[in-house]
Amino acid sequence: MLVKYIARRFFASVIVLLGVTLITLVLMDRTRGTYVPGIDLNPSLRPEDIARLRADLGLDRPFYLWYLTWLWGALHGDFGRSMIDGSTVMSHILDRLPNTLELTGTAILIGLVISVPVGVIGALRRGSKTDHGLTVISVAGFAVPQFWMGLLLILVFSVTLEQHGLPWLPSSGAYSAVNGGDFLDRLQHLVLPATVLSFFYVSVWSRFIRSSMLEVLSQDYIRTARAKGMSERRVVYLHGLRNALIPLVTLIGLELPGLVSGGLVVEVVFGWPGIGKLAFERALQYDYTTVMGVTFFAAVLVIAGNLLADVLYGVLDPRIRYG
Amino acid sequence: MIGQSRVAELETPGAAIEGASTRPAQSYWNESWERLRANRIGMAAGVLILLFALIAILAPLFSLLLTHFQPQTIDLSATFGTPGSPHLLGTDELGRDTLTRLIWGGRVTLGVAFLTVAMSLTVGAGVGLVAGYYGGWLEDVLMRLVDMVLAIPAVFLFILMSILFRPNAITLAMIIAFVGWGNVARLVRGEVLSVKQRDFILATRSIGARDLRLMVKHLLPNVLPVMIVAASLGVGQIILVEAALDFLGLGIQPPTPSWGNMLSNSESYFFHSIYLVIIPGVTIFVTVLASNLFGNAARDAFDPRLK
Repeated sequence: MLVKYIARRFFASVIVLLGVTLITLVLMDRTRGTYVPGIDLNPSLRPEDIARLRADLGLDRPFYLWYLTWLWGALHGDFGRSMIDGSTVMSHILDRLPNTLELTGTAILIGLVISVPVGVIGALRRGSKTDHGLTVISVAGFAVPQFWMGLLLILVFSVTLEQHGLPWLPSSGAYSAVNGGDFLDRLQHLVLPATVLSFFYVSVWSRFIRSSMLEVLSQDYIRTARAKGMSERRVVYLHGLRNALIPLVTLIGLELPGLVSGGLVVEVVFGWPGIGKLAFERALQYDYTTVMGVTFFAAVLVIAGNLLADVLYGVLDPRIRYG
Repeated sequence: MIGQSRVAELETPGAAIEGASTRPAQSYWNESWERLRANRIGMAAGVLILLFALIAILAPLFSLLLTHFQPQTIDLSATFGTPGSPHLLGTDELGRDTLTRLIWGGRVTLGVAFLTVAMSLTVGAGVGLVAGYYGGWLEDVLMRLVDMVLAIPAVFLFILMSILFRPNAITLAMIIAFVGWGNVARLVRGEVLSVKQRDFILATRSIGARDLRLMVKHLLPNVLPVMIVAASLGVGQIILVEAALDFLGLGIQPPTPSWGNMLSNSESYFFHSIYLVIIPGVTIFVTVLASNLFGNAARDAFDPRLK
């Protein structure tokens, strides 16, 4: 039964993936007229030359042919070559992927480390000043524009501190080009962007943990545990927290696709050499092959993440399998 | 002997509690409105947003009467002014009045936000209603379509569409709505699935109501609360998205002011005037905060169990 459920979800995912590629390539198709940047700008090119060039490059083939060719390549991990520098798109992606994972992974970690205690404290001291204060911070954190926060942090920690001769944090790149690259250096560069990125996670997750804890603590089995004489500490942490964290696991699971695409704004503000920044830069340069490759890559991760989450649901909650 | 009066009391309980007041029965919407009104923070937030929207709509009037500047008026003798008179919030690098630009920028940003929400809700609710009501293969197909749209990471879709369709305010709203309607559709479909079970639907169907009538007259009003909450929260989220897109240069292009591109302008000039960085950012923050607070208040008002 579980196998059938997984098979159904997998089949659906494949269809969704094909649909995604279709949508993205249809959007890209609008640009095929000027597929090669600058081809229409050279004044010494006669119209017949342009036509010949386009035929050479295969730009006048019908859409479905182009779509199938690209899809076949993509399934082999071959996204073609960048239109700007000629190196393969895949190599670009693989170059930048570790940086992005480093950033978003750290942000998620920080988010967890901070939001769990905050959520638990909020739940245990419900209604108190502490709880109100924490709630206010969470709600506010949800409303701050990421790029603005990044900008402000750069202004304070990179520019102003430096002006006053105080130890300061670097504002761009993942490591120093000069004498850099060691662990401490990378850590220094990681601090500001990871803080900005994790702020959002902390805001959302701490509220979630708080309400999840409150729900769990009102359950009957908690009452039983207390009635049995179990110490409050054990009740809260052993029974309460462990059960409250289960929904959080699924929430984080749904964040997995964001591992790749979520940090784009932060990457651009901090000059972090990741996938998001790659897509953004190349988009501005009309490097369609790269942008397509990155988009497809990210979409695959999203779909895989959803599939994984669905499968986990099916494993954990038998009711879903038979629905 | 049991007092006759006591037996009489027991038999006619109304007589015993005579004089106690009874609340008149209220409709769900009235009750929700009362709950919302009782939530002072939520109401204040809602009023704030309406106020901002009003100011944005009346921007030309404000320009004329309050600040006496136009958003594009360049005055190179007054660059990087600090807040004071006559520039109530200072000036930017070209001497343009910040307050005026803020008001006109609000027009663009809030305009895009409300337009996007309207479009997302319309399309999303339509798809969700149809999918939830009919079920079967139609629901599968529609929900797969929603999955497809939601599978493309929003950021990349924005980038793609922004470089393909040079966005003005309206196309930007369409682009953001294209990404957002999927969530609304899922939400509405979920609600429809649960409302569909209720008896009044069966009853209405049994007296011969047609599908469209059922969907519009009976399902839709029950789905509205969820949509209202989604709309309130959505305005804030879309403002953040729009501001980010403008900041990256993918949205509204300067010199048309919007809160996002005012910030990207200020990035290069913070040495000269910190106000340029702080003021638009605070405005965005306050507006999004108000939207979130109002959305939460609306959610609590419609379904207090979830508090």
